[in-house]
Amino acid sequence: MDYLFCMLKKILKYSLFIIILVGVVLAIYGWHLFGQVEQRFSARRWSIPSTVYSDTNLLYPGQHIRLSLLSEKLSNLGYHQVNRLPSQKGEIRMGTQALDIFLNDLKTPWTDRAGFLAQISFSQDRIGMIRRIDNGEPIPILELEPEEIMQFFGQERERRQLISIEQVPEHQIQAILAAEDHRFFQHHGVDWRGILRAMLTNLRHGTIRQGGSTITQQLAKNYFLTPERTFTRKLKELILALIIEFRYNKREILEIYLNEIYLGQKGSVAISGIGEASYFYFGKPVKKLTLSEAAVMAGLIKAPNHYSPYRDVARCRSRRDAVLNAMHRWEWISQTQLEDALIQPIKAVGFIVAEKKAPYFIDYLSQQLNTLYRPEDLASLGLSIYTTLDTQVQMAAEEALAKGLTRLEKSKPALQRTVPEEKLQGAIIVMQPKTGHILALVGGRDYSVSQFNRVTQARRQPGSAFKPMVYLTSLEQFTPTTLLSNDPKSYTVNGKQWEPQNFETVTEYTVSLQDALKKSYNLATVDLAMKTGLDRIVDLAAKFNFSTPIKPYPSLALGAFEVIPLELARAYCVFAAEGVQPYPLSLKGVVDENDRILEHQHLKIERLIPPAEAFIMTSMLQGVVKEGTARSLQRRGVTWPVAGKTGTTNDFRDAWFAGYTPDILALVWVGFDNGDSIKATGAAAALPIWADLMKAIPQYRSEIEFKAPQGVERILVCPVTGRLAVGGCPDPVEIYFLTGRTPDGKCTLHAKGGIAGKIIEGVKGLINDE
Amino acid sequence: MTNKATYNICLIFLAAMLMGCPKPPLKGDPSEADAITQPEETPQENPRAIASLQLTDQGRRLVEERQPDRAIRVLEQAVSLHPTNGQNYYYLAEAWLLKGFADQAKEFNHLAEIHLKDDNQWIIRVAEQADRIAELEK
Repeated sequence: MDYLFCMLKKILKYSLFIIILVGVVLAIYGWHLFGQVEQRFSARRWSIPSTVYSDTNLLYPGQHIRLSLLSEKLSNLGYHQVNRLPSQKGEIRMGTQALDIFLNDLKTPWTDRAGFLAQISFSQDRIGMIRRIDNGEPIPILELEPEEIMQFFGQERERRQLISIEQVPEHQIQAILAAEDHRFFQHHGVDWRGILRAMLTNLRHGTIRQGGSTITQQLAKNYFLTPERTFTRKLKELILALIIEFRYNKREILEIYLNEIYLGQKGSVAISGIGEASYFYFGKPVKKLTLSEAAVMAGLIKAPNHYSPYRDVARCRSRRDAVLNAMHRWEWISQTQLEDALIQPIKAVGFIVAEKKAPYFIDYLSQQLNTLYRPEDLASLGLSIYTTLDTQVQMAAEEALAKGLTRLEKSKPALQRTVPEEKLQGAIIVMQPKTGHILALVGGRDYSVSQFNRVTQARRQPGSAFKPMVYLTSLEQFTPTTLLSNDPKSYTVNGKQWEPQNFETVTEYTVSLQDALKKSYNLATVDLAMKTGLDRIVDLAAKFNFSTPIKPYPSLALGAFEVIPLELARAYCVFAAEGVQPYPLSLKGVVDENDRILEHQHLKIERLIPPAEAFIMTSMLQGVVKEGTARSLQRRGVTWPVAGKTGTTNDFRDAWFAGYTPDILALVWVGFDNGDSIKATGAAAALPIWADLMKAIPQYRSEIEFKAPQGVERILVCPVTGRLAVGGCPDPVEIYFLTGRTPDGKCTLHAKGGIAGKIIEGVKGLINDE
Repeated sequence: MTNKATYNICLIFLAAMLMGCPKPPLKGDPSEADAITQPEETPQENPRAIASLQLTDQGRRLVEERQPDRAIRVLEQAVSLHPTNGQNYYYLAEAWLLKGFADQAKEFNHLAEIHLKDDNQWIIRVAEQADRIAELEK
């Protein structure tokens, strides 16, 4: 008896010891987990990817418009078509004569405008009028919200919009509790009754039919644990749930849960949290979800992709009905509410898995962002990054380049290549010359094949596209009518003889400076460069911020050195912008998730040349378009004032066209990466792409003339002698000169001969005619 | 005889008949200077210009409210719509003055001067602004 008593005592003693030991271990482990919970919840709870936005778009009466581009833009902004007068933000009714639109809210760091109902009427290819529908008030200018271009995802590739519990309607909370944990407000993290019920159900069916996890347990599992099913993991989950309930109140837990849950998939990106899912499925904020929609959302939690309305509406409906019935069972909704909700159709708003937009632009932007933020911060801080990109211009540029290159390959089969990496390439940059805003950037033909950015990274010879720099330098000494030698000459370069040639055989052995530029004569340009001084041209190029080495060789005049296309475009901005050079801008600003502005990037300009010289260059470059190497632009439908220059390099390795109006500048390059000949000039290969692009973006066309600044004079001159015209000069022309640098004498050829000169001309004409 | 030959003969006789006619207008001739004045584009002809006026006004108000960053943003839009409106540059210069950046203010003041040269009232304001910029530079 004593022995038994002694044994029992020992067992009790050891059991007590073991219990105390286990208790101590659990307490230490619990303390450790408590620390984990504290650390995890007090730190940043979620990684929110930063979002890159395009610039806003402006609409105004009289604006040229392409309805197809506008429709696409609105669709990209998430507007959807309805067949009645729009009644909610994001709805449009597109008619043939007018568009009714319920604008979304516009919120940028610089603008905060609530959405409203407006009508935009059309008159042929222009906007006729914009007015508010509620009071008929005309709107002189309407700003469309910026378009999301991309997100900087971390490894998780999640989209999430955080919401506070106050934003969630009661029926949404009840629907989720009905679907997942109807005793949430009664238990303390672990629902023992629920677990027992689940065990009995599972035993009865011999399989796992029901889980007993509470919302708090689900949160613990998602937040701290891996998905495997083991006893220790389950134990850990229980302890964590108890700790979370001990540390946080029910509404806090619910808020974290609503922001955490996985609710579906958009392409390769996970939709997480009810805030994001509400937009993904129903295109509205969670506070506006109806009872039926709230039940759909709640039903999704169990298996988001299985019950997705995008996958199977009938299955989604059946799950929604189950949730609604549960809500009714727990007396959270009335019979009438249940019946009303059950008959509601499920209308998901639809989504498009967008392809990577403007990838080369984004790469260029990312380089700048990476100097400001670490990649992990971009992937987690939820920054809003506003850019200068105009998605309509970008689309038009991509399309113009793709079509232009295909057209060229078709017309010249020798340019076709079978290996994708070796195919004919092209690049386009579109800028606003006055502000430096980069509206579009296409760095290559196919980003998936080659990520090499030919606008910002390529170094190519500009050929004749560089000539304006030579002519600009010469303006201090010469005038547009100065006569140049267009005779073949030989130059010694590094002890070797160099004999430049014109592109075609010409019989004009003497040519005026402006005609030499107009017709892109090589011999006359080299003559001009030698007279002007090569060192001076090099100095000017440096002043224009070309970063590549430019040496003072005579071939410099013909652009026989390498430049970066972006820098060449920036150089042309100076002519379009009255002599000032803007800093090329792609980033406008960065805002954190609390709308605090972290970064402002304003237009920055630098005055490089007098406005009068810039205007003289523009005037001469208009001549290139009107009568020179780029005259085919008019045939291609570009009939408004444009200044520009073609460029072709040796062996046709590069084809260029840089053209601008007072509003917009675009530079197009076409060539092979390996330097193969494209067998076409800038006028044949690059210019048509430029023309297609400009015709596709009529909204940027004001068709105004370039404005002459002070310091220039328009003078009537003799086209033969380049001197002041006299009565006898044939077809005198008006030419702009710098004030004080006008021709210094009257035409002696026609003045001296007077009527005799005319008779001689007439007789010559007769002889030639005969 | 072809049409061109006939034309040349006519030209000879026409030239003879025109002897003693006034010379074509030349450099320095005031009447010519008027005749070839660069046509001023007016907002009435340019929808972009009309639309930009609202932005210019908004930019002005933001400058007056001493919100230079917002003003610059709005005026950038105005410039992009109507790059030849000198008032946009004037207010941009004001905004940069508010921010204390004399060099940028100076560049925009210069652009304002170029575009407002024909407006007697505005050119005085631009000159006054240039003085204030010079003060800031000291």
